[in-house]
Amino acid sequence: MQSIADIVLTSETRLTDVYRTQIGDYPKFFKMDLLCRVGFVASELLLQQEGVERFVPRDNRAVVLAGRSGCIHNDRAYEATIQPDNYFPSPSLFVYTLPNIVTGEIAIRNKYLGETMYYALQEEEQLLPLIEATLSDKISSVLGGWIEAIDDEHFIAKLHIWIR
Amino acid sequence: MILVGSHIITPLGDSVEANIARILAGDTPDEIVHKLPEAGDFANRCVRSITEALQKDAVPVNTTETVIIVSSTKGEDLDLITPAQRICEELENPNPPIVVSNACTSGVCAQIVANRLIESGQYKYAVVVGCDIVTEFIRSGFEALKALSDTVCCPFDAHRDGLNLGEAVATMVFAADEYLAFHPKQAYWHYEAGCMHNDANHLTGPSREGEGSFRCLCEVLEGVDAKDVTMIGLHGTGTVYNDEMESIALYRAGLSAVPANSLKGYFGHTLGAAGLLETILCLRALEERIILPTKGFTEQGTTYPVAVNAAHRHIEGNNDLHFIKLLSGFGGTNAAVRYKRICNP
Amino acid sequence: MDSLKEQLKAQIIEALNLEEMQPSDIQNDQPLFGEGLGLDSIDALELIVLLDKQYGIKLSNPKEGKAIFQSIDSMAEYIAAHRTK
Repeated sequence: MQSIADIVLTSETRLTDVYRTQIGDYPKFFKMDLLCRVGFVASELLLQQEGVERFVPRDNRAVVLAGRSGCIHNDRAYEATIQPDNYFPSPSLFVYTLPNIVTGEIAIRNKYLGETMYYALQEEEQLLPLIEATLSDKISSVLGGWIEAIDDEHFIAKLHIWIR
Repeated sequence: MILVGSHIITPLGDSVEANIARILAGDTPDEIVHKLPEAGDFANRCVRSITEALQKDAVPVNTTETVIIVSSTKGEDLDLITPAQRICEELENPNPPIVVSNACTSGVCAQIVANRLIESGQYKYAVVVGCDIVTEFIRSGFEALKALSDTVCCPFDAHRDGLNLGEAVATMVFAADEYLAFHPKQAYWHYEAGCMHNDANHLTGPSREGEGSFRCLCEVLEGVDAKDVTMIGLHGTGTVYNDEMESIALYRAGLSAVPANSLKGYFGHTLGAAGLLETILCLRALEERIILPTKGFTEQGTTYPVAVNAAHRHIEGNNDLHFIKLLSGFGGTNAAVRYKRICNP
Repeated sequence: MDSLKEQLKAQIIEALNLEEMQPSDIQNDQPLFGEGLGLDSIDALELIVLLDKQYGIKLSNPKEGKAIFQSIDSMAEYIAAHRTK
């Protein structure tokens, strides 16, 4: 597969600032957990880079993301709402305790009706061969890459648009 | 690829046969949370199931030719990778594990990934194991979403009001078609098709038109007639919205009359194990030409009726057996697979 | 009642991550769901948690939520009548 666009987003980025200045108009951003904000901002910048028409439903693009740590940052945030002495389980935090939700956010934003997948992998290098080996005939491009979000000071997203 | 082995561990028993026997005998307790009897150790449970699944067939696991795929939503102690690594180490498999974590569709997605990896030629065999542990973390979350029923769930029923949670471990062992050249089988299940589609609608609510599930059903039907489908194993969690959405997707795909079931009344929603557990049980029962019942169903409760039944059914005649499994999950995921029974004369 | 309504608006903005809103952006009688603030089903569930956490009100039947969460006015009225905190 060939990479036609790519982006690296690290924790030097002030996500909210980038959202406000370069994306905007999507208040759902503020409901997202860290993993989703990282994935969303990275994918937005990547898709702006790609420069093709957006927000038209399509099912020939897959969204495939992988990481080692899943949604651990939000898992801890949810855990804090189920402490025995302060027990108010938060439904909106619980929604984000699945690592594939970030692929769902990207799909909803972009109207991608194709395949979406999250893999937990040890090493970033495993992902591209895995995507190449498992590409469906119906998919012509993949928005994918490695994403890790441990906390506000430690996150990274390395995303690509790959085409056949 | 073909299915060469399978194994399950559930609160009903430690084998596929034991589970089916109890389901058919109507000997299944009414539970709201289906917990496995011993305290959970993710890797041990999975290794035990995989070891049993590998008993009968000549599939090696300690080789680069075999990939281990783990299907799980939360792993153990919020860690997906470490338990999967332990499974590979225990089984002396040299490949790094692949963990499919795609919410409730993980078990079906993992089957699809197994097929594609084998078709790519990268591996000859795939061992797919699904497991999740019902922790207070998970239980409290579903409760906060008001998704739980405080009675036994009743999929597709007019009075359904939520899901139950459950624990299980389920393993499917697959081999490339070429396996048959050296290990001929009189009869086996052949994986025919699989696909995934996102609803692109809402993170937890299914699309009102069942768009993603509908697309999956259409795609997985390519090459076969709707009337040739013997049965469909549905997700059927027992929530108002999921079951309604599934009924709409079935109707749109012209599959409303196909005999169907949901097994969630027997096991609860077993999350990462569900897609594997439910496929294994349905396939094994189909080998005896039986369609397993839908516990908890009494009265049609979806806009478009679904052909589920509280009693098990026998399949008449001698037609080829075609099975479809459908699941949907949080994050807008939907996935379906289709299997065909091949019998050599 | 007015100070309860102002407090409620601030709490809702925080609980639902409506970060680009100020309390002054929310009218007392404006529909919170559907057209109004565009809140969804998950937001409704968070409001149920808010009632419990801030005001000690446990909604026995979540379906009651629809009427209660109509607007700031209806919420404040319900809270004033049922609060235990």
